[in-house]
Amino acid sequence: MTREAFTRELEALRESLLRMAGLVESQIDDALTALRQFDRAGADLVRMNDQAINELFRQLREEIFQVIATQQPVARDLRTLMGVQYIAIELERMGDYAVRIARRTSTLAGLPHGQLRPELSLMGELASQQVRDILDALIEENGARAREVAAKDDEVDRLYNRLFDSLVDDMSGEKDAEDALRTVTLINVAHNLERIGDRVVNVAEDIIFLSTGFVVELD
Amino acid sequence: MEQPRQGRAAGGTEAAPVVLRTLPGASPTKVSLEQVSFWYGKFKALNEVTLEVPEKRVTALIGPSGCGKSTLLRTLNRMYDLVPGSRAEGRIMLDGEDVIATRNLMELRQRVGMVFQRPISFPMSIRDNVAFAPKLLGWKKKDIEDTIERSLRDAALWEEVKDRLHQPGASLSGGQQQRLAIARCVAVNPQVILMDEPASALDPIATLKIEDLMGRLTENYTIVIVTHNMQQAGRVADYTAFMLMHPEHRYGELVEFAPTVELFQRPKDKRTEDYITGRFG
Repeated sequence: MTREAFTRELEALRESLLRMAGLVESQIDDALTALRQFDRAGADLVRMNDQAINELFRQLREEIFQVIATQQPVARDLRTLMGVQYIAIELERMGDYAVRIARRTSTLAGLPHGQLRPELSLMGELASQQVRDILDALIEENGARAREVAAKDDEVDRLYNRLFDSLVDDMSGEKDAEDALRTVTLINVAHNLERIGDRVVNVAEDIIFLSTGFVVELD
Repeated sequence: MEQPRQGRAAGGTEAAPVVLRTLPGASPTKVSLEQVSFWYGKFKALNEVTLEVPEKRVTALIGPSGCGKSTLLRTLNRMYDLVPGSRAEGRIMLDGEDVIATRNLMELRQRVGMVFQRPISFPMSIRDNVAFAPKLLGWKKKDIEDTIERSLRDAALWEEVKDRLHQPGASLSGGQQQRLAIARCVAVNPQVILMDEPASALDPIATLKIEDLMGRLTENYTIVIVTHNMQQAGRVADYTAFMLMHPEHRYGELVEFAPTVELFQRPKDKRTEDYITGRFG
């Protein structure tokens, strides 16, 4: 085997990506836990922890750029580098959505509230499961599995649309400003969960590119 | 015998994007190789290579040393005839004419020219270097004069030498001498130009000039190039053939042939992937 140093560099990049993926997965779970409990302190922690993801993302981009500039990769090596870069971008965005959910959680915690609406809890569970499943597909570089995970996004989209309509209905009967703010905030949370699902689909496309070299559209 | 072609300024038109150039049916086959095997005496150097070289495109032959790529190149204009005991089997059809069977070597080598690794200028003036083969072929004086300028333009050398055509070819730089060799080659209106590592002895700037030139030459010529430099194959070739020495029989064989963008992005054979990503050996 030649190019041992290059092979080690690629492996290190892959490990960094998986570490970043693990952090994002935790962030989404923590944001949802804080949301269910209207836990402002938990939400603050999620906002703080985003720094680690951003830093890892910055390092990854720099390393990828260096490897491309010095190693002139082709074929699978080039796909790996581009795939890692694409997926890192999606992960970083997912981390941002977790932060946005945490911000909305802080708002909700300051308002009168009862239980979180069950549809929103379900959406959170589905989005979180999607993230876990797509990361498994990433570890295995399994294109077929990535397609299966992407297909499940339709369920999140349907749930989002139903919830959106229901929240808008709620708003039409609300006269209280706090009630209106709570509803708008919940719509925003739902929207961010829906966006996480969309990013999962993008990662699925990137996994297929990584393993086959073909650019596909799974939407 | 083909008549001299009218002059054409080099670089007049932009080549089509490489992806369009390699669409199925975008270019007819110029040279067709069917199960070509080759022997140096008792040693079999090539085994049953089947390949279609598209017209007015650059086809690169890549592979590690000893894989038979230079041997394959030399079968296309029977350069091996100079090596005692060598022989080829199979069929190499150039526009429907059998290269292996032909007895008219002079005409074959006029149609299939060759540029070698080391820039070689004949010990004569720049002008006489280009006029050498046309004179041998007995062309008329006026045709020869027209050919000198047309060939030097085709080789992107005219502007650099037009005021010193009577100076020795050897007074040119290495890169210029290689372009002079290309001018000498195109002077007799070949249809196919074979290039054996044409830039390996040149510095990076001279190399880029030769590479740019190759793209322009495909407006009129079919080019087959042997190169060790994979990045060069990626830059200049429309199609790439990857060859490898058989580990047991030691003969060279074709592993994969595909549009270059395809071969460098998604090689089908693991041996190709290992070689182009530097995991070979």
